[in-house]
Amino acid sequence: MSEFCGNPAAETGEALMPTKPKFDRTRTCVKCKTNSGNLVIRHSVYCRDCFTPLITTKFRQALEPHINHVSTGPRRGALKPSGGLLVAFSGGMGSSVLLDLVHRIYCANVGSDELKGGREHPRRSRVWKRIHVCYVKTSDVFPEINDQTAQIREAVARYEGCEFIPVRVQDAFDRSWWERVSGDAASSSAEIPVDLNDGDSEPIAALKAHLRALPTPTATQSTLSTLTRLLLLYTAHSIGASHLVLGTSLTSLSISLISSISQGGGFVVPQAIQEEWISPFVKRTPETTSWSGEVRLIRPLREVSLKECTAWVWWHQLSVVGKQRVPISERTIGSLTKDFIIGLERDYPSTVSTITKTVGKLAPKGKSGMRCVLCELPTQQSVQGWKARTSIHSFADAPSPADVATSLPIYLCYSCQTTLTSKSSRSTTSLNSGSLSTTSAPDAMDLPTWAAARLAFGVGIGEEQSATTSTSTNETRESRQSLIKSLVGEFLLDH
Amino acid sequence: MAPKSCALCQNAKAILRRPKTGQQICKDCFFRVFETEVHNTITEAQLFKPGDRVAIGASGGKDSTVLAYVMKTLNERYQYGLSLFLLSIDEGITGYRDNSLETVKRNQQQYDMPLKILSYDELYGWTMDRVVSTIGKKNNCTFCGVFRRQALDRGAASLCVDHIVTGHNADDIAETVLMNIMRGDIARLGRCTAICTQGEDTIRRSKPFKYAYEKEIVMYAYFKKLDYFSTECIYSPDAYRGHARAFLKDLEAARPSAIIDIIHSGEAFEVKDEVRATQKTQQTCKRCGYMSSNDLCKACSLLEGLERGMSTAAISDKGRRKLEAEGPAPNNLRTIPYFRPPTTVTIEVPAASQ
Repeated sequence: MSEFCGNPAAETGEALMPTKPKFDRTRTCVKCKTNSGNLVIRHSVYCRDCFTPLITTKFRQALEPHINHVSTGPRRGALKPSGGLLVAFSGGMGSSVLLDLVHRIYCANVGSDELKGGREHPRRSRVWKRIHVCYVKTSDVFPEINDQTAQIREAVARYEGCEFIPVRVQDAFDRSWWERVSGDAASSSAEIPVDLNDGDSEPIAALKAHLRALPTPTATQSTLSTLTRLLLLYTAHSIGASHLVLGTSLTSLSISLISSISQGGGFVVPQAIQEEWISPFVKRTPETTSWSGEVRLIRPLREVSLKECTAWVWWHQLSVVGKQRVPISERTIGSLTKDFIIGLERDYPSTVSTITKTVGKLAPKGKSGMRCVLCELPTQQSVQGWKARTSIHSFADAPSPADVATSLPIYLCYSCQTTLTSKSSRSTTSLNSGSLSTTSAPDAMDLPTWAAARLAFGVGIGEEQSATTSTSTNETRESRQSLIKSLVGEFLLDH
Repeated sequence: MAPKSCALCQNAKAILRRPKTGQQICKDCFFRVFETEVHNTITEAQLFKPGDRVAIGASGGKDSTVLAYVMKTLNERYQYGLSLFLLSIDEGITGYRDNSLETVKRNQQQYDMPLKILSYDELYGWTMDRVVSTIGKKNNCTFCGVFRRQALDRGAASLCVDHIVTGHNADDIAETVLMNIMRGDIARLGRCTAICTQGEDTIRRSKPFKYAYEKEIVMYAYFKKLDYFSTECIYSPDAYRGHARAFLKDLEAARPSAIIDIIHSGEAFEVKDEVRATQKTQQTCKRCGYMSSNDLCKACSLLEGLERGMSTAAISDKGRRKLEAEGPAPNNLRTIPYFRPPTTVTIEVPAASQ
């Protein structure tokens, strides 16, 4: 038998398939050109000493030009953020590296004797006076995963000068949370008819009902990610932060870009790299040039690959809590894209970088004055007509303008419409509960507090509309309640 | 369990689950929605005007056979007023194209449309069999694709048509969007979702099946009992495209709307103005008069490489440098006949199709 199978390790070089070298020319570090290399990054070799400045430079280049409200250059002394900094922390590899870098560059180094310049040198002043770290907990919704809040709190406590803010994903359906974060709206919150739960006002039950009404595991995954993003943005706004930073690595970013495109998010995909979010309660006019509460969402690790993050964690001996996987089907667009991109990166290491660079050269086609009530990203016009033309669902005559005016889809972007309505290839009904199934059929679709508030008041549906539509506050609570019911009604049945 | 009634007409028994929407519908309603969606695509983009002469790029495969049938049906039903032609390109692949051309010839009889066949051998002096025997299977799809594009235009010019329609379906377009993002081909990404493309000197070319799922095209051909040739090309397909196709099929299995969602994404973004300003402008090939981004069009460069025994000359920089080092092209080099577009072509393109 051995004569057929042989031992590959003992074979001569000629007998084996030639393998492509992992690095281009030399084993010496391409940066210092003296040390022997320790890590290969896309065919280039780096030593351990040069690796740290390489990553900090990439981090700073991605973040610092965007710190000032109006860009004035990347010089440290000139960095004057308008508000505080919120660091999103999931406990995963990317956010662990992010928090370490933020602390290392903007907290730990400030008093260091190693810094050049006198005591009053701008380099010694803190860029951000206050740094908060926010963790969005999902374990209440999924009993299968453990509550990691204590470990996360401990991990954050290791970094001096960072304040911890835990948020629960069900807070998206919690009126008391909404009153806390919505600023001006807090005073009028008593009038906001967001209670869509038919008596079940528990946020956790409302969130579960919302997820249960979604037709596919893909929809569940993308909804959780939208809720997390909005919870972070509203939290940032509520603490007066002007910047929200996420630990999305180059690899994760290209996965999320392809995943977003595959879910119809082409109009907003150029913003997925960096986003400028304005709370619907901020009153801005076109003439406003100063900061008035906007939050700039930045991904400072967008040039740092997953492999580089791993090397950073290893060489700087970081302890990573670990992000728990949400127990939903593997057959989601997000999971399939992740498997595909990671597999592709193995054979074509430049692919992830090419994807982000290509998307960076794109802009939305056409104008938009509207924001989706669910994800608060810009929407395109005439999405409904496009859908009706390209995928006929009914031979009935076109709906009357009155029907359209009270229809939820007109307030949603293409992706959110798809999330709420697009079925899986197997299900025959539109409502699929996934791992959240209970014996009771969903009888109402609950909306996140911000969506319900926007629908009720028309706040921020169109930036230019916000001032006028808020006059609807004169309507009675009952009539508004029935309006919202009629808006969501079409998603409750199989159609 | 009682049979389910059709989700669209509510009367007949549902016999199929529609791949695009998941609805369970009857056969007649399937034909109706499929044809109506293609009609919507044509009318929304204002692809044709009465009196247009339209060539259908026909390979004998499922997409082009269904396209020919549906174009004939819609032309009669909605009185488009078009003169339809079949245009086939014979790449010279023994055991594949010769058999599929027999199907096209039968389609010519079945649909009563004039047929024009133009061969690579006639136009370029090379069959694909000879190309593959010279260069091997690697990169052969590059030669075939570039040669076919130009051959279609030249065949259409000889038919004096205003318009070429091809059977590219939604799966093809979604796959191309993904591929162009993954390989950073920003120029193609900008135009791959356009329903109608036209260079300054070329004939309008459009894709009425842009929103039609491949599975539905197969289903339509099956239920209509259309005569088509279903063998894949004997020369291996592009490996990178194969990756993208497998991924797309996975996405479709997870959520069938993924294909149309990707096309929607592709239509919703555009290349930034400052990036577009750096792209090459279109010019005319100095050797054959066809549209080109450089002095020589891609087909002329590929043909020169083949004729001079350096097949990689138009594929890699190394090959190009090697060719340049050999000196200028000899005077007796075989070239492609000079391209003259038909004089009847109208250059106006509806705003919606830009």
